[in-house]
Amino acid sequence: MIDKNLSLRNRRKLLLGLFDDEDKMVAATSALVHEGVKIQDVYTPYPVHGLDRIIGARRSWLSIVAFLCGLTGFSLAYLMIWYMYVYDWPMDIGNKPERLTPSWVPILFESTVLLTAFGMAFFFFWRSRLVHGIKPELLDPRQTDDLMIICVESGHDVNESQVLDIMKQNGAAELRTRDGGVSTVI
Amino acid sequence: MIYDSIIREQLVTGGKTAADVTRDISRPILNKPSMAWKVGFTFAVIFLGIFGLSLFWTLWTGIGVWNINKSVMWGWDITNFVFWVGIGHAGTLISAILLLFRQKWRMSINRSAEAMTIFAVICAAMFPVFHMGRVWVGYWALPLPNAFGSLWVNFNSPLLWDVFAISTYFSVSLLFWYIGLIPDIATIRDKVKGKYEKFWYRFFSMGWTGGTRTWARYELISLILAGLSTPLVLSVHTIVSTDFATSIVPGWHTTIFPPYFVAGAIFSGFGMVATLLVVARKVMNYENYITIGHLDAMCKIIMLTGSLVGIAYLTEFFIAQYSGVEYEQYAFKNRAFGPYWWAYWSMMFCNLVSPQVFWFKWARTTPWFIFIMSIVVNVGMWFERFVIIVTSLHRDYLPSSWVMYSGSLTEVGLFLGTFGIFFTCFFLFAKFLPVINMAEIKSIIRNRE
Repeated sequence: MIDKNLSLRNRRKLLLGLFDDEDKMVAATSALVHEGVKIQDVYTPYPVHGLDRIIGARRSWLSIVAFLCGLTGFSLAYLMIWYMYVYDWPMDIGNKPERLTPSWVPILFESTVLLTAFGMAFFFFWRSRLVHGIKPELLDPRQTDDLMIICVESGHDVNESQVLDIMKQNGAAELRTRDGGVSTVI
Repeated sequence: MIYDSIIREQLVTGGKTAADVTRDISRPILNKPSMAWKVGFTFAVIFLGIFGLSLFWTLWTGIGVWNINKSVMWGWDITNFVFWVGIGHAGTLISAILLLFRQKWRMSINRSAEAMTIFAVICAAMFPVFHMGRVWVGYWALPLPNAFGSLWVNFNSPLLWDVFAISTYFSVSLLFWYIGLIPDIATIRDKVKGKYEKFWYRFFSMGWTGGTRTWARYELISLILAGLSTPLVLSVHTIVSTDFATSIVPGWHTTIFPPYFVAGAIFSGFGMVATLLVVARKVMNYENYITIGHLDAMCKIIMLTGSLVGIAYLTEFFIAQYSGVEYEQYAFKNRAFGPYWWAYWSMMFCNLVSPQVFWFKWARTTPWFIFIMSIVVNVGMWFERFVIIVTSLHRDYLPSSWVMYSGSLTEVGLFLGTFGIFFTCFFLFAKFLPVINMAEIKSIIRNRE
């Protein structure tokens, strides 16, 4: 369930390009993808629109999960009102009908919203590996401030010098490698 | 396609870079509290003390210490409840509806407005809960099996809808606010030095590192939450209005209530946002982030919603006359010219007449004037709820039960005390969390479309 792409643990050598400009980072990412390099992740301090499509991330399932949670919320609320109000102890209040009436709508609606919001949020936390108190896998403390980092995992099919060259040509402020948790500036 | 916007004015001025944004907005968190913060916080805590005393007296003696009686069974308490719930609407409106409309100016103000929402709903919840009298059996409002038999709650009652609506609104707003805060808490986590600070910011940042896939999901969840919160925010005040509209009390039994209450809620919410931000931008040096352009936009919304509320007042009056129902006609005549005329005309002046000054650009761009106007709006909206509740109840169908009502010292204390709760929470928020959404601001500082 957890997105396996996210963790940096048990990775081979990582090639890092540090950028301080959004345009240069996007250009470098596009160039790398164009050359067929698989990008592990790009870390940015703010959302850069369209970057997920450039690195080939699949569209999230969140909207489907949201819909399913909403259905669950609606059904549970319906079941609750039906059980309490129609089945277990029918109440005659002002001779109003007891079966599904407009007066059920507010509670059905609120329960649908409540379960959708929380169900979706839990799915988001789970899938994105967001857990209270865990140690963040930071590549640089400035990645949540003003630095953008392109991260490529080394392997047989990766030409390391070509990757570093592309990053440099597109204006990387700094190049690093990271092996076994130790970063080396190139 | 990304291009430089040449038509729109800069949303953030001063040529800020991403690093500047982090530095400016995390300054109050990383530095020792300023004198202004200490003074403000002290005042807030004093008011919190007033709340504590009034609440203690209410619980110790019973709600007989309030001046509510058999005719006016809702007084300051429900007035204050609706007042605070209304204020709580601007946050979600700004973050949800303006997000759906792609209004980027919301980014400077959404964080504090959402915080305000949460604190205002806490204040609001105090009143119906303690109005129950025996607050220790407050859980009876929930759909739980009754200890004395198998009787359940009444699903036809708007008061039960309120329980669901307010609790859903509070929890979804809190979730929306927290998810929006995670990237910023991570930024602070990577800046703070102290051991305890590091622990707490790390705890709440949930290991956030800003990966692209996480950002994509984050953007999607924000969008869906905004889509959910938009009907939610409209439903909450609609349901609050049905507390009145489904009754047969003259002056309450009207179908115009839901839209009229929602417009009023947005109006008062923006009034409170303006009150807070005009001060905060000055005291915290955020004039480059919350610019005159932002204040201008807020004033336009205040003017629009004030006028909507004003039209609703006039429509109500007209419909009462046109309906030919003498009880309705009397209720409205009594509002305007009866013993509570001063409350009615204060409401009319503050909500309908005074926001019309915002047709003038000077009024929309002068901070001190906006501050005064925002107070006027808040006073007016309190009077609106007072007028609706008290003038309708104090003279109903049976002249023998006509009475006058004014709040007791304890009721006044509770109301003033909720400002203590509100501002204590707000000052703590301004000290420990970023008041402006840093991540979102960083994405618009270059004025890209």
